[in-house]
This record gives sequence, structure tokens and C-alpha cells, in this order.
Amino acid sequence: MNLILQFLFNGLATGALYAIVALGFGLIYNTTKIFHIAHGAVYTIAAYLLFSAFILLKLPLYLSILIALFGTAFFGILIEIFVYKPFYKKNAPPVTSFISSLGLYIILQNLIALIYGNQVQVLTTQPEKTFQLGSIIVSRIQWLEITTFLIISILFYLIISFTRFGKSLKALSDNPLLAEVVGIDIDSSRLKIFAIGSLLAGLGAILSALDTGIEPTMGLPIVMIAIVAVIIGGSSVFEGALVGGILLGILQALSIWQLSARWQNTVVFIALIIFLLFKPEGILGVRRRLEEIKI
Amino acid sequence: MNYIFHILTMINIYLILSLSLNILVGYSGLLSICHAAFYGIGAYISAILMTKLGINFFFALPIAIMGSMVLSLLVSIPSVRLKGDYFILTTFAFQIIVFDVLYNWVSLTKGPYGISGIPSPSFLGYLITGPVKYFFFSLIISILCFVFINIVLKAPFGQVLKAIREDETLAHALGKNVTKFKIQAFAVASALAAISGVLFAHYVTYIDPTSFTLDESIFLLSIVLIGGCGNIKGPIFGTFLLVIIPEILRFLGIPDTIAPNIRQIIYGLLLVIFMYFRPQGIAGEYKFE
Repeated sequence: MNLILQFLFNGLATGALYAIVALGFGLIYNTTKIFHIAHGAVYTIAAYLLFSAFILLKLPLYLSILIALFGTAFFGILIEIFVYKPFYKKNAPPVTSFISSLGLYIILQNLIALIYGNQVQVLTTQPEKTFQLGSIIVSRIQWLEITTFLIISILFYLIISFTRFGKSLKALSDNPLLAEVVGIDIDSSRLKIFAIGSLLAGLGAILSALDTGIEPTMGLPIVMIAIVAVIIGGSSVFEGALVGGILLGILQALSIWQLSARWQNTVVFIALIIFLLFKPEGILGVRRRLEEIKI
Repeated sequence: MNYIFHILTMINIYLILSLSLNILVGYSGLLSICHAAFYGIGAYISAILMTKLGINFFFALPIAIMGSMVLSLLVSIPSVRLKGDYFILTTFAFQIIVFDVLYNWVSLTKGPYGISGIPSPSFLGYLITGPVKYFFFSLIISILCFVFINIVLKAPFGQVLKAIREDETLAHALGKNVTKFKIQAFAVASALAAISGVLFAHYVTYIDPTSFTLDESIFLLSIVLIGGCGNIKGPIFGTFLLVIIPEILRFLGIPDTIAPNIRQIIYGLLLVIFMYFRPQGIAGEYKFE
């Protein structure tokens, strides 16, 4: 019984990490309709910014984390200005911005590899502090992951429900053209969306970098899982990413427990195919006719 | 001299891959990111059959083709009803699942260790081995595939695919079973990919899962998108260009440790630039809408 609880808790902690990254992807995908694969590169950049500040420049950890977060948000803005905005202004079909996002991911990942090398780097060498919570063992990072997840969820809920910006997000997600007609400044909203979305990716990256170390290819697997989380949670509502992320974390933990760690990603993608077949709108999404889904 | 024949053999293999991917991407408008999975399935089926059961190459080839076609149903049936991003995602998922199976099913595929000692094909007792002989062998097979693809695409089948690409509802209204045609297109494309997989496995005589990754699928997609799709000449351009770029880098004297990264950066840049300025690629006639 304890073993199950421990696995479930580990799944919850990993799921919290997925949920944070997925929230960023979902925010961007939902409002701009860009299939932002380069989110993975943004994630990797955050980890390497932390590495540069903390290990190479030997700055204190809290300052390094701040630098990494703001640097990542800034990078997200740069991507929007120099890559996606030109496509948007040209009214290019969504598939072309998807492919250019893929291209951008490839470029950034390999630039990082050129600068820092392809090998794995670690940020801390001492073992993670742990403590008992009832019968389960909790590491400090897991604690941090779950707390961050809770804070982000509450903040996000408040922003969406009570601010003008939150309303404009909903409007953009529902109908961008109409949103522009009623006076929402699309350009500046998109900048904010990319800044916040990238910040969330950065947050996830920092948590994972402190836990397991960093390498240039770390971004794509996690962004793939984040995408799956957004789809199975329900891509038409922002909260879907949070639910999907936690569910996938727990699903992976259960598959490690029952099968083996080698199959944990396979299980995620089988879940994706099952959802796309039987419930393409996701858990929280509203059922629409296939023709209504604007892509 | 062997070096040149090696490059030409690889071009033959990649020509089959890009022309078959073109059936999906260019003719049917299905942006599939799992072509390397079928390439790998072909390579692995024939490698396992020949090393474990000692079956002759010319029996293993059709079995690999059939196997790949059957497995293509696993991705085509769930995916063809979905549109846009969701379709792409399903093919993404299939690619990752196939890679995981090749990597983790150690008792069958030897996982990360790969399968070594794959015998060269022999024809009536004549062993086809070494770059020169293998080049002519792969040339014959790729010409056969080329002719086959040409026939299929000029035939009503290819024309219906184009019609579906242009206006799915209209094709449906004209009594064409859209789903069935898409599934068939997938089967044909994956069969051809399996052929190049078999050619590759018996040429290099050692395969491991890292040749059939998501990156490889993205590379194949880049060939088709940069060369251009929707006609025959686009993917041919793309194949020559993208297979030869790494060799040019080698001659420029870029050290081997960073050459793969530089190569990838070039592919990525080409993708972004082409998508912005010329979404139909160098010589293609179809751009996505």
C-alpha cells in the first residue's frame, strides 16, 4: 500500500512539472493557434541560462533563477517578433507556422549544443534533501514542484477570471477576428502571451534542471508530453493543461510501477491516440462537431 | 571511388523515401511525421527474418513490405479522420511508439545494441556486396519504385488523392470514399518506405534504433518540403540537395564533432526561410493551406 502511495506521489510531482510547461504551451496554442514546438527550445534555453548564471558566473541561486526566468520570457518575445509575427502578418496558413516552429526548434537546440556541448551537465552534486510525510518520502524538489504548481494554478485562475487581460485571452481563444474588432490589441496581447507562456516553460525547466541536470535535447520530450497533456485535458480551455499534466504524471508513475520505466513515454502516446479516437475534445473540453474546430 | 558510390547508394535509398512521403504530403495533403518509423519497420523485419530465420533476401523483402502495410493501418485508421494539428500529432505519437518498441523490445530487436551481421542479398548465388555492386542493385530497385510511383500517381488513384487534397468535401460529394483513399495512400507510402528500409539494412549490415528516430522523420519531411512537393521533381531536387549538404560540409573541413549540429542548423534555417518566402519549396507545386 505504501508503495502505491509513494508512486502516486512521485507521479503527482512529475505531473506538476508537466502541468506547468503544458499551461504555457496551451496558453500560446489556444490564443494564437500556433503549434509552438519551439516551446521545447525555450525550455532548454531557460535551463542553460540558469546553468550559465549559477555555475559559470557563480551567481547566487535566487539571482540565477530570476535571470533565467526573465531571460526566457524575453526570448519568447523575440521568437514572436522575429518568427511568428511575420507569418501572422502575411496571413500564412497555420501549417507553415507549425513547420517553421519545428525548424526554429532544430536551430535553437543545435545552437545550444554548439555553445555548451552535447553532454549532460549537472547543477548540484550533493544529494537532494528528503523528509517523511506520513509513510511517503518527499524530496525538496518534489515539494517545490507541487507548491509551484499550486501557486501557478491559483494565480492563473485569478488572472483568467478577474482581469481584463484574462478576458482578452478568452476572447482571442474564441474568435481572434472578433476580438480585434472589439478593440483588443492583438499585437501587444500576443507579446504578453509569449512572455507568460515562455516564463512558464522556464519555470518548469528550472525545476527539472535542479533535479536531474540538463542537456541540449531535454526540451523536445517534455514539450511533446506537454502537448499531449493539453490535448487530453481539453485544448479549448486553459485549465485543461493543468488537469492533463497531473494525469499524465500519475499515468507514467503507474506504468513505472506496473511495467517498467522504459515504457513510460509509450504509455503517454498510446493515451493520446486513444483520446484522439474517442474523446478528441479532451476531459474538460466542450464537444464540437469536427467541422467547427478551426485549425 | 567507393565514397562516391556510397553517396549515390544513399541517394537511391532516400529517393524512394522522399518520393513515397510525397504521396502523403504532396498528393494527399497529409503532413505525416512518421515516415522514418516505416523505414525502420522495413529494415527491422527483413533484418530479423534474415539473421534469425535465415530467409533469403527476395523472400524477406515482400514480407517486410506486407508487414509495413499492415502496421500502417495502426496509424492511418485513427489519424485520417482528424484534421490539421491533430493529424500531425497522431503521426508524431506513432513515430515515438515505434521507436520505443524498437528500443525497448530487447528480446526481438536487441534494443540499443542493434542487429549486426545482416547478410548481403544474393541473387541466384551471386552475392551483391560492396558499394559499387550495391549501387547498381539499389539503382534498379529505385528505378522500379520510381516507375511504380509514377504509374500510381498518374492513374485515377493519384488524381483522386489530389482532389481530396484540394477539396475534401467536394471529393466526398462526388462519391469518393475519402477515408479509404487516405488509408490506401498510407499503405502505399509505407510499403515503399519499407523497401528503402530493407535496402538500407542490407547495405550497412548493422542497424540500431537511432537510424529511425523522430529526427529522421523530420529530416525526410524537410527533404520533401524544401525540394517541394505535389509533383515528382520536387522531392528529387530535395533529396540531392539535402543528402549532399553534409558531404559539402565535410569538404569545407568542419570538424566531425560539430558537423552534425551545423548540418541540423542549416536544415532548420532552410525550413523557416522556405516556409516564409516559398512554402511550395524549390520545385514543388503544392503549398499548404
